[in-house]
Amino acid sequence: MAENNTLKKSKNRKELWKGISIFLFLLPALLLFVSVLIAPIAVSVYRSLQDWNGFSPGTFIGFSNYKELFTNGSIKFMVGLKNSLIVAFFSVFVQLPLSLLLALLLGRKIKGSRFFLSVFFMPVLISTVVIGQLWLKIYNPDYGLINRALDALNLSAWKHVWVGEVGYALVAVLIPTIWQFVGYHMLLMYAGVKGVSPDLREAAMLDGATNWQVDKYVVIPIIKPIIKVSVIFAVTGSLKTYDLVRIITNGGPFQTTEVPSTLLENMLFLRNRYGMGSTISVMLIILCFAFALLIGAAFKEKED
Amino acid sequence: MKMKRLVSVLLAGVMVLSLVGCGSTEAPAAAEPAPAETTAAEAAPAETADAATGDAITLDMWCIATESDSNRGSYEKAIADMQAAYPNITFNWEAFENESYKTKIKAAVSADELPDIFFTWSCAFLGDFVKAGKVYCLDDEYQNWKDELPEVMLGNTTYDGKHYGVPTTMNIVGLFANMDLLKEVGYDEVPGTYEDFIACCDALKAKGIIPFGCAGKETWCVTEYLESVIEKSVGADELNDIFLGRATWNNEGVGNAVDTFQELVTNGYFDPAGIGLTNDEVKANFMAGKYAFYMNGTWNCADFAADEEFYQKVKVSEFPVIDSSKAKLGQLIGGPSDTLAVAASSPNAEAAAAYAMELGKLICHYGYLDGCGLPAWTPYGDTSQVNGLTQAVADICANADTYVLFGDTAMPADEAQTYLSYVDQVYGCQIDGAGFIEGLANDIR
Repeated sequence: MAENNTLKKSKNRKELWKGISIFLFLLPALLLFVSVLIAPIAVSVYRSLQDWNGFSPGTFIGFSNYKELFTNGSIKFMVGLKNSLIVAFFSVFVQLPLSLLLALLLGRKIKGSRFFLSVFFMPVLISTVVIGQLWLKIYNPDYGLINRALDALNLSAWKHVWVGEVGYALVAVLIPTIWQFVGYHMLLMYAGVKGVSPDLREAAMLDGATNWQVDKYVVIPIIKPIIKVSVIFAVTGSLKTYDLVRIITNGGPFQTTEVPSTLLENMLFLRNRYGMGSTISVMLIILCFAFALLIGAAFKEKED
Repeated sequence: MKMKRLVSVLLAGVMVLSLVGCGSTEAPAAAEPAPAETTAAEAAPAETADAATGDAITLDMWCIATESDSNRGSYEKAIADMQAAYPNITFNWEAFENESYKTKIKAAVSADELPDIFFTWSCAFLGDFVKAGKVYCLDDEYQNWKDELPEVMLGNTTYDGKHYGVPTTMNIVGLFANMDLLKEVGYDEVPGTYEDFIACCDALKAKGIIPFGCAGKETWCVTEYLESVIEKSVGADELNDIFLGRATWNNEGVGNAVDTFQELVTNGYFDPAGIGLTNDEVKANFMAGKYAFYMNGTWNCADFAADEEFYQKVKVSEFPVIDSSKAKLGQLIGGPSDTLAVAASSPNAEAAAAYAMELGKLICHYGYLDGCGLPAWTPYGDTSQVNGLTQAVADICANADTYVLFGDTAMPADEAQTYLSYVDQVYGCQIDGAGFIEGLANDIR
């Protein structure tokens, strides 16, 4: 009996030491996670409930900022949200299929696949500011590539101020956004495609499947988890879009290309409305989480 | 086995301690954003005392005169003079990029970490800090300088009858004209009346020359035109009352003036491509001879004068009067906005106030000589070398009747952004004059 107790005590002590060791090893990461992620989110939530100009003491106003966000038309949050969802739509239904297509093609061991891989991935490596400036030059109404090309083709009537007209400005932002990240998603999917066992491919081929049938019935189902990750990245990335919009249109013309992040900047640094800025950031966090969960659920349903 | 576990726990402890240790040394560095440039006069003898008594003190200043800023030279020369005159004061100054400075200064005010002297914009921008009790009152110090600094120049930094800022240079909106293009349509001078001005624009348009260039991508550039049209239609006093919150936006005269401005747009006087261009691009187009007129701040004089070929072609004048029953020549958009202020939290606030006054005067002096703006202080010394354009602006200002500060500077930040959003819509013909005044009356006042 006494021996049993001693054994139990020793086991408990072992368990305790194990727990302490695990805790101590996790502590640095936990501290880092709390200080750079949880704490700022908590502060943002706290500030979102205040009317605060950034330097005077804030006044607690409950959920007024949240209410104003959806009811005050001059804040343009709904416009921003709509634009983000448009970017998300095109990212999912244009950018990702394009990435998948390229990944499947390059995954077939075609000649020079490494070269094409580098070329398609290159825009990801270039700074977004550089890409924005590059496309601004392409869109320039006076000397831009598009208008000059239209002139050369005697299609001057089709010329436009691409980043200054309501009907074209958002498209002018969408094109470089999609172009920039095609390579990124392609690389993710390419890694998945290369991970598919050659035996499966060969087996399907022996059964008389064409390349496209192999891709459709073998490769794509296997890389579905990667496609899911890409969809989550594309949607949450679209909700957080900022840099290209800031450089190419700066939210204009007439705030028609605003996205939540540019509105956030506007509230914080131009309007001195730090409380409202925090509200927008909290909304962004909620939306990103909600979409990530929704996408996860949608894929799960399909798998089931 | 036990030993292994003990060692692993010890190692984990060391890791945690090292992280905490790193954190404590890095924290202050993270809290202070890296300065763009720092100039220290000499090693710091950091005792506090009064500047006038000659005791050693240290003063710090933040400003926006970075290497690329046209005012950099005037700051450097003024600070060199001050350092020679006050060797007992260790003067450290840092310059930050304009937009990031706006964030930095607000954060510093919030954390009570302002330097002794700081650059600020006048009216609402400084007003918020004054309201929060963070700015030192300069009334006493001003008594020593009132012969050289006209009180009218302090209007934008006076709150509840007290002075809180030292103005440096001032600027107005000027109508810059490319005289080579005007000559092509038979004009040797910039038209003096609004009717002549419109006739000139028609003639330019008929000749295939675009009358105006305006950067639609930067709404403040549109306000340079719109505010001039409104001021020369309803008069400076009415516009001032609206900007400073003393009157409602629901003013029929303003609505009509906005319609007048919109007629200029719909008549095709503005470059249609301008809506997608930045001010730098529009300015470059103007200097390249694409537009006949360019309405913008007179801080451009230095750049225009620096281009020898273009300098021969360009003239600056005042926008003509539209309704002479309400407005007149001499009513200008602009005024002193660039300002130095002293932190109320400064341990040497009194000495800093004296230093800021004299420094402001020198920055103004050298800035005027460089053509960066007009003097808010009474000019002194030989000013014959100032470029002709700046001198022409000085002549316009010599006959000034009233100044109306730029709308987006005069109004509080939130209102200013709402106003700019409506200006944007006017330029794009999304709303007319009635929509403009109605919207602003609803959203602001």
